[in-house]
Amino acid sequence: MPSMKVAVRLLAALPGRFYDLTWRRVRYLGAATILARDTLVRMVTPPFPLAETIRQVELLAVHSTTLTAVIALFTGMVLALQSTFALEEFGAKLYMGEVVAISLVRELGPVLTALMVGGRVGAGIAAELGSMTVTEQVEAMRSLGADPIRKLVVPRLWALLIGLPLLTVLADVVGIIGGMFISVWEVGLGPAFYFRHALRLLDYGDFFSGLGKSFFFAFDIGLIACFNGFRAEGGANGVGQVTTETVVAIAISVLALDFFLTKLFLAL
Amino acid sequence: MNTHTSQVAIRVANVHKAFGRKKVLCGINLELPCGELLVVLGGSGSGKSVFLKHLNGLLPPDEGEVEVLGEKVSGRPEAELIPLRRKVSYIFQQGALFDSLTVGENVAFPLSEHTNLTAKEVRHKVARLLARVGLSGTEDLMPSELSGGMRKRVALARGLALEPQVILYDEPTAGLDPLTGEAITELIRDVGKETCATSVVVTHDLLVAQSLRGTLAYLSNGVFTFIGTIQEAMREQGELARFLRAGGLHVGA
Repeated sequence: MPSMKVAVRLLAALPGRFYDLTWRRVRYLGAATILARDTLVRMVTPPFPLAETIRQVELLAVHSTTLTAVIALFTGMVLALQSTFALEEFGAKLYMGEVVAISLVRELGPVLTALMVGGRVGAGIAAELGSMTVTEQVEAMRSLGADPIRKLVVPRLWALLIGLPLLTVLADVVGIIGGMFISVWEVGLGPAFYFRHALRLLDYGDFFSGLGKSFFFAFDIGLIACFNGFRAEGGANGVGQVTTETVVAIAISVLALDFFLTKLFLAL
Repeated sequence: MNTHTSQVAIRVANVHKAFGRKKVLCGINLELPCGELLVVLGGSGSGKSVFLKHLNGLLPPDEGEVEVLGEKVSGRPEAELIPLRRKVSYIFQQGALFDSLTVGENVAFPLSEHTNLTAKEVRHKVARLLARVGLSGTEDLMPSELSGGMRKRVALARGLALEPQVILYDEPTAGLDPLTGEAITELIRDVGKETCATSVVVTHDLLVAQSLRGTLAYLSNGVFTFIGTIQEAMREQGELARFLRAGGLHVGA
């Protein structure tokens, strides 16, 4: 019975495969943790790559403003439409401003910005560093006595730590304005009324919990993208593979991180 | 330029290296005196580049020791290798130029990283280095605008910027036409004479090996099965003889 033999062989190989997979994951996490540690040390010790950081702020953050603003505008409008629809059932559509503002500032602003910017910027960083790795440019940097973490990772991490919170604030503001358009056009509430309600329940805690998350997301995005970029092997195929893995890993980790950070901030 | 006192520039003792289950180096031993030129020959995938990367710590050995210019390379953290890497240049197979920087910025990279030269001094030195490799006036070009031979010349100029005592060449003529390959080989020979640097050239091109007239080392099955002059190599039998014959050198000549 050849099929029986194949099945037995596959079953016998399972423990080995499970061990290999687990061991690979452990090594991946271990190496990423070491990169995180080395990066943190270099981020707070001189010399600081100021010029490169400014260049990266422009590339990673400034160039993401249109994307962030467009997505936040439509998110705010959809949120306003949906909340109006739901609140109308209870005769409470006048409170749509509060719903839009709280949802955006506490949750949607930071998370959507991190997902969108993370996808765009993470893929870009992974592809760039991946391409440098497979063409031996990273090794060339090491052989010239330069530190690739300080030269390549630190400026990108600082740029994201500066840029992502600012983009989150932009997303919050544009999203609330998007909600105002629906308030005026669809519900017939005046802008002043909408903004008064939108800002009524918001406090500094809401703002800072959303903003606080964006710092963690920034570090997460930068670290995953750089780490995967350095892991690239082979040629264009290897670069493509790490780029795809980066986008997936960023999406999952941002959402998982968001859950734990929300639990943490609610407990504080 | 050779200011160090050690007589042996490179000492490799019982170096082993494996990638997963694939053993690449299986007990490499070598001593290379200062100022000498060593040509490492071997077939594709024989581990020549892996061996070369051990000499400036780009790869750590699994076992064994590597010493360059009297300093231990193996088993040291990356940060401690930086001073040594200023003295040991590595010229990569494809040049490995930073493609986001211009040619001038590429050559200036080690200078701005390790020296306190002013911008004007750096500019002058870059121009001098580019002139040395026959590429005057290319400072503002991007690496993507260069041919394969030009990229290797720029890589050599960048490698010479810190006046190294050891220069490691990884397949310097691979992928080049015979004339450009010959020009690069001449450049390697001239640079070696001018700087008195110890050079290790990894190649599978026998004409390069013959033209450089250095000591030959043949890497096979993870060990050096032959170290000697090209004349001695030509009297060898077995795999090396077949390798030389296939490369157009006459065995027994």
